[in-house]
Order: sequence, then structure tokens, then C-alpha cells
Amino acid sequence: MDVQQGTLALMILRTLDVLGSLHGYGIARRIEETSKHRLTLNYGTLYPALLKLEQEGFVSTEWRQSDNNRRAKYYALTAAGKKQLVRETREWQQTAELIAAFLASPREAP
Amino acid sequence: MRQIRALFARLAGVFTKNRADDDLKEELQSHLEMETAEYLRRGMTPEEARRQALLASGGLTRAVEAVRDRRGLPWLESIGTDLRYALRTLRRNPTFTTVVVFTLALGVGANTAIFSVVRGVLLKPLPHRDGSRLIYLRQSTDGPGGANVSFSVPEVTDIRAGAPALGDIAEYSAWSVTLQGEKDAVKMDAGLVTGNFFEIMGLAPVLGRLTRPADDGPGVPPVMVLTHEYWMRRFGGDSSIVGRTVRTDGGPVTVIGVLQPAPYFPDPVDAFFNMVISPHHLSAFMVQGRTHRMTEMIARLAPGASVQQARTEVSGVYARMQRDHPDAYDPGSHYRVAVLPFKDAIAERARLTLWLLMGAAAFVMIIAAANVANLTLMRGVRREPELVARAALGAGVARLRRLLLAENLVLTVFGALFGVGIAIFGVRLLTAFAARYSPRANEIQLDATVLGFTLALSLTLALLLSFIASLPKEGHLAGAIAAGGHRASGSLRKQRLQRGLVVAQVAVSVVLLAGAGLLTRTMIRLAAVDTGLQTESVLTMQVSLLNVARALSDPQADVAAKEGYDRIRTEIRALPGVTEVGVGSPMPLQSSGVRFDVKAEGRAPTPGAAMPNAELRTANPEYFRAAGIPLLRGREFAATDRATSGMVVIINQTLADRLFPGADPVGQRIAWTGDVLRFTPISGDWRTVVGVVGNTRDGGLDAELRSVVFMPFTQMLAMGGGLVIRTGGNPAALVTPATRIVHSVAPEAPIEQVMTIAQIKEQSISPRRLNAVLISSFGILALIIAAVGIAGVLAFSVSARTNEIGIRMSLGADRGRVQRMILGEGGVLLALGLVLGVAGAWFASGLIRGLLFGVAPHDPATLAAVAGLMAAIGVLACWIPARRASRIDPVITMRAL
Repeated sequence: MDVQQGTLALMILRTLDVLGSLHGYGIARRIEETSKHRLTLNYGTLYPALLKLEQEGFVSTEWRQSDNNRRAKYYALTAAGKKQLVRETREWQQTAELIAAFLASPREAP
Repeated sequence: MRQIRALFARLAGVFTKNRADDDLKEELQSHLEMETAEYLRRGMTPEEARRQALLASGGLTRAVEAVRDRRGLPWLESIGTDLRYALRTLRRNPTFTTVVVFTLALGVGANTAIFSVVRGVLLKPLPHRDGSRLIYLRQSTDGPGGANVSFSVPEVTDIRAGAPALGDIAEYSAWSVTLQGEKDAVKMDAGLVTGNFFEIMGLAPVLGRLTRPADDGPGVPPVMVLTHEYWMRRFGGDSSIVGRTVRTDGGPVTVIGVLQPAPYFPDPVDAFFNMVISPHHLSAFMVQGRTHRMTEMIARLAPGASVQQARTEVSGVYARMQRDHPDAYDPGSHYRVAVLPFKDAIAERARLTLWLLMGAAAFVMIIAAANVANLTLMRGVRREPELVARAALGAGVARLRRLLLAENLVLTVFGALFGVGIAIFGVRLLTAFAARYSPRANEIQLDATVLGFTLALSLTLALLLSFIASLPKEGHLAGAIAAGGHRASGSLRKQRLQRGLVVAQVAVSVVLLAGAGLLTRTMIRLAAVDTGLQTESVLTMQVSLLNVARALSDPQADVAAKEGYDRIRTEIRALPGVTEVGVGSPMPLQSSGVRFDVKAEGRAPTPGAAMPNAELRTANPEYFRAAGIPLLRGREFAATDRATSGMVVIINQTLADRLFPGADPVGQRIAWTGDVLRFTPISGDWRTVVGVVGNTRDGGLDAELRSVVFMPFTQMLAMGGGLVIRTGGNPAALVTPATRIVHSVAPEAPIEQVMTIAQIKEQSISPRRLNAVLISSFGILALIIAAVGIAGVLAFSVSARTNEIGIRMSLGADRGRVQRMILGEGGVLLALGLVLGVAGAWFASGLIRGLLFGVAPHDPATLAAVAGLMAAIGVLACWIPARRASRIDPVITMRAL
């Protein structure tokens, strides 16, 4: 299953919020695991999304050594990113509730 | 906010591409390695782990592309690519590029330069506050000197009371004031104005204050406001001048301020004064004399009023004035008044000439654009294979169009850049030219608006050029590819367009050349006009020994002035080379503008016709011989014609014919007449005609011949006097010694208008010459561009038909036949263009009637000559490709098939 447009950014922000600063591979693994491997992220989807967040100022980047001594680019949430996460979470929940309520409404008798 | 931030980040991305690419590759690599390591940990072989990791990545290249698209601004980068490609292509076609850029530069240059003049002189809002509400009133009559007779104070008062739509009316009277300097004296062109003048004109001071209603009337201190230009010229922009008192012939005057830069109108003016400087302007003569017309009127429309309303009101009150004062408005002279927006009045003289130039420049632009379009079309056909190949490789129509647009943009922008260069030079030339026609010439500049016009012109052209070229259509590629791309097809449609453009070029060239021909003939005719003088080796100089104020207050001043002229005359006469020196007013070929009605004894004026009038001039006995004015009958003035002896006059041929048709005027008596004489020191006594002299062209070579009465210098006030110095040698060489003599006799007398007769003539010819030269250069330019156009289109046609011609020749057509075929092809275009052009010229030349002199607008000789020239050049242009066609070797072409 491919990730839906617009939801990936939220997933990334949430991941960084939960796990702290993380490299691209780590983010991808985390999202795949959280989705119980129902989602697969290829590079062409993940990295443009990361770049967009960086351009918007929601994440910052830094090259450093990983735990197993590899150089990797780490992404971290900025203050603006934290605010954006709160905002997007709220919006997403409202949408989800709305859709849920909508789909739950009983079929009316003709 | 976040979009803007992202946009800047992306914009930055355009320039940091390489570094970011390396960064990204490293990042993806590390991702891949971590993933591979993970698979290894799960127990895969190294090869399998790597394969799985790559599989999961979804393709590294794709990822890099996806990120790149997100990083920079892809469309911006592709425009950059297009432009770079366009530059490369154009560099590879230097001839095409040079011809196109050069042609465009000429077109753009001419248009930019002339548009900046048109804008500065005709279109720009006036510098006056709400300048569009200013109104100029002009009273005129039939006959010479009647174009603007100005108003009298009672007339102004009537109109002020009867035309409320005019709001308030300011009065302006042209005057001359002599300013006494430390060592010298200079004459200033002065404007005597009412206190409301500047308020109505909507002008502000740059220094000090302007006159106000408190400065009106008698018993106030005389004050002076300098124009910005005169302040810079005479006082070097010295701000301490304000508050200082200067000496003038009207007494001491305080400088109260400097006016903002503004166009003068109707006459050039150096400074403005309140009326008190001239006692005459406050006298009963001036204030009560209805025929004493020396006041200009400028009004500001009342709030809410329209020009039309003002016209209706003014014509109403004017009709009433004529009814109430029949003696002040001679019915034969057809007194009338015009109510004009000030902006139009000020642009009147320049309008026709400038629109003519603008039209000519636009024509050159059309021809240039047509030529460029033709070149582009031809090139388009040659590169059809390239475009087909690009389309086949996946470039959409929009993408190809963009490529063409990039090329055309590069061409037009370069054309515009060089064009602006030409314009900068041209504007300087044209400003001097425009200054002869308009007081607003100093407002001409190449500013942002003008450059915006140039830019718009270039962009429009680039768009047009990009869309006339046809592109291979998607879905029709197969056919185009199958044709092999060797076929320089030039579809019928395109050929028709090219031919149409050539016809248009020829036609427009003919129109321009016809205009050039007419203006050139005008100039030649004008230069050939007989001035009426029998010599040109004459130097004239205006020397004022007496001014109005002194003449009116001190009767002895006139006597002293006449003695002064006599001494100067005797001393200059003694200079080597001088053969005669005359004294009189005004100088030959100049017009005094002083005209009065005149009557002959015993002859009733023709009823219904305008009262005869004549210009008053004065002359001493030597004046006619010095100026070379031929004596036709009777005698010249003599030393015996004194102030106390019998009153005599000499009249010119025109007046003799008017007053004494078929009779000998010598011995008859004439007299000045009319109400206006009351306000002058001139009596209406009978004066005996002692001689008749030949007509001279006074006030311009194209001026009508006017009636003139010469009075002896001794029997008239010595005002406005000057010297006419005749020499056997070069008159210009006399300037220095003659000036020195005048200075030694009268150190405070201003010397003006030091000119040879040749220079006076030149004054009226040179604007026409510049006209003729400008339009002729446009015409010749058009001719050259059109010739290149014809030759180019035919050459293209020949190269497209090489095979066909080869076949014809191998089937037996000889060289002459082939040559005739191509000549015929061009001849048809040429003939069509000529017919259209002559028709266009017939129409267009009617529009410039006002600029012509001595030649009819539809002059058949000019039209024939122009058509002949165009035909000759056109045939030559056809002949070159025709010759090339006849040189085609059938054997070689047949092999190439």
C-alpha cells in the first residue's frame, strides 16, 4: 500500500517527535513498522517529503556518526515543526472523526 | 509565510545544485548501506542483501530526480537551458543574427527616440498643477499678421464677466525690459502679468515668492520673478539673487523669486514683472482702449465646467461685444476667438511634424519587423528537420514553441539594447530639433516609461515571431519523418505570408519615400525663394538706443538716440570693406509685427473686404541700398526728409498694387488710420508716397508677402533701430569691429540678433531641412530593408526550387528563360507593392499638406520619381537571385535528386 499524499509529512513529524532526531533510514523503518509493514516507503517518496519539510522550516538537518559508526544525515523537529505537528494532528483527527461519522450514518429508508 | 520560505529555499536550490546533489547521493548511499546491513543481519548473503535493499529503494536515480524537482525551480532551470541553447544556435548563424539584430536595432532605436520626443512634447501632463484645466484664448483675424492679434483690457474684462465657466482669467503681456549689468546691458524677454497669473497657471516658486494680487495696480513696488532657465543662464543659479534689487530701464526692480521650470507660452520669456514696471500698461490708453490689443489670456476652468461650456459662453459674450462695439471689429477682417486647452495650444506647432516622424518611425518598424519575420520564416523552413527530430524525441508543441520564443527573445532583446543605444544618441539630436517647435523640448527624456514602451515593443515582436512559425504537429509526425527532412518545403501558406510581407515592405517604402521626396522638394523650393534682396553679403544687428519708457517720458531722448545712430553709422562706414551702412527698423527679412490700417487719399475702401493694413517700418536714406532692396519707382529717402519737412513714405510693391491698382502711386497720399492710433505716438496725417520698393520676404521665406510702409527714420521715434551693413567681402568678419564701435558710442545699449542675411535665410530653411533629412533617412532605410527582403525571399524560393529548375533546364529551358521566370516572380510582388504604395502615398501626403511649401501634396513628378526609384532598386534586388537561378547546373541537381 502506498502512502497517501499529505499524510506522510504528519507521519514523519510524529516519528521525529516520538524518537527524537533520526536519519532517513530510521524514519522509513519506523513508519513501516508502525504501519505493521502495510506501508513501504521508497526513496523517491521519502526524500522529497523530507526536503519539503526542511524547506518549510519544520525540520533541521545535521550530518553525524550513527550508533554503528556510519555517517548519516539526521533530521530533528524544530520549534515550528512541533507547532505544525500539533496543528496537523488536530486537523487530521477532526477529519477522521468527520469521515467516521459520515460513514457511520445509517442508510435511510427509501 | 511557509510557502514564501519554501520558495526562497527552492530559489536558493537553483544555485546550490551541485553541492546538494553530492549531499543527497551520500545520504541515499548511507540509507542503502544501513538497509543492506539490516538484511545481512537477518542472514542473507551479501549479494542478496544488496539486491533486496536496492529493490526496496525504488531506484536511486528516480529518487534523485524526484528530490531535484522538489529542490529547485524546474521551470526556471529549463528556461535557462532554452536561453543558453538559443544563444548557441544564434552564434552558429552569425549572418542571420547580425542582420536581424541590426534591423531591429534601427527600428527600435528610431521608435524609442521619437516616442520619447512625442511623449515629452505632446503626451506628458503639463508641469502645471491640474494643467489639463488650463485654457488659452486666442483672437485672430484674416490676413497676414492676423493669426494672433491678442486682446485688449476691455475685451478681457467683458469675457471675464460673461464666461463664468472660465473661472478666473490671468493676463499676460509680452514686453521687453533692458537689464543693466555691471558693464553691459541685456534685453530681457519679459512677461507683464496680473497678480493672479501664477495661481491660475498652477506654478510654484523654487525660491522666494511669486507675484500675487497685492502686486497689481499703480503705486506698488515693481517686482520681478525669474524663470528657472534664465536664473541658471544669467545668474548661474545663485540663490542670493532673491531679495536683491536690479537696475532696469523701468527703474530699480526687486527680484522676489524664481519660478519652477515650466514651458513658456506663447513667447519665450526670461522674467515676469508686475504691471507697474510699465506705466503704459496702467494708463487709460491700455485700460480703456478696446482696440489696444496686447494682452494674452490664460484661464483655469471653473470647478465642474467643461471646455465646451466655456466655448459656448465665450462665443455668446464675443457676439455681444461685436454688436456693442462695431467700430472695434472691422467686419471684413472676420474677428474670431478660439478657446483652446492650454496643452493643445502649446503643442500646436509641433504636433504635425512629430506625428509625421512617429508615423515614419512606425513604418520603419513595420518594415523591419516584416523583414525579420521573413528571415525567421525562411530559417524555420530550413530547420524543419531539426524540429521534427525534436518532436519525435518527445518534445511537445509547447516545448518547441518555448524554444523558438527563447531564440526570438534573445534576438529582440539584443535588438532593443542596441536600439536604445541608437535612441540615446537620437534623443539628443531630436531635442535640439524639437526646441524649434515646442517650449516643452526640455521635458524630453529617455525615462522608465519610454524604456517600458521599448520593452513592450520587443516582447510583442518576439511573441509574434514565435507564433508565425508553424511547428510539426503531434500525431502528424510520421509523415514529416517519412519525408526525410531533406525537403525544404516551405508550404504554400508560408510562401504566401512571405510574399505578402514583401509586398507590404515595398508599399510602405514607397509611402515613406514619397514623404521624403515631398519634404526634400519643399526644402529646395524654400531655399530657392527670392528674398527680394539683391545681395547677401550683409550683416544686420539690432541695437537699441531708445526704449519705450524713455521715448514717452523724455522727448530729448529720441533726438539723442538718432545722433547716436548717426555716429555709429559714420564710424562703421569707415571700416575697410564696408560699402554702405543703413539704419532702420526692423532689420531686412525680419518682421516688426507693428501693423496698422492704412488708407489712400480719394479712394474709398472696398466695402465688405478687410480694411487694408500695412507693416510700419523705418529707414534712413541708405537703408535700401545697404539691404539691397530695389527701388522700383520714385526716389529713396533723402537727407532733406527731416522731422520738420513734409511727411513722406515709401511703400512696397504689394501695398502699391493693393491701394493703387493700375496707377502710379508716386505723388499720391496715404495715411495711417484706425482707432488704435490713439494709443501710439503715430499721427494719422496724410503722407506723400515718394517711392515704391520691391517686395521682400519678411518673417520667413515661406511667409506671405505683406504690405509695408517705410517711414523716414527722422520722422518716427528711433525705437527698435538697427544697422544694415553691406560689405564687398565676408559679412561675418565685420561682427567684431562693428560691435566694438557700438560699445564705444553707447556702452549701455543691448546688441541683439547679430546675423548675416544668409543666417536669417538659414533660420527659416533649417527646420525644414532637418525634417527632410530625417524622413529621407527613414525612406532610404526602408528602401534598403525592402530590397534585402525581396532578394531574400527570391533567393529562398530559388533554393527551394533548385530541383525543379534543374529539371526544367535538363528538359531544354535555357538560362534566359529561367532568369525571366524568377524575375517575373519578383516583378509581380514589386508591381503589387508599387501600386499599393502609390495609393498609400496619395492618401498619406494629404496629411502632411501643412508641412509642404511650393509643392502640391499629390505632386505627380515626386510620385513618379519615387515609384521609379523603388522599381529600379526592386528589379536589381530580383536580378541577383535570378542570376543565381540561371547558374544552376542541371547535371549536379539531377544527381542530387
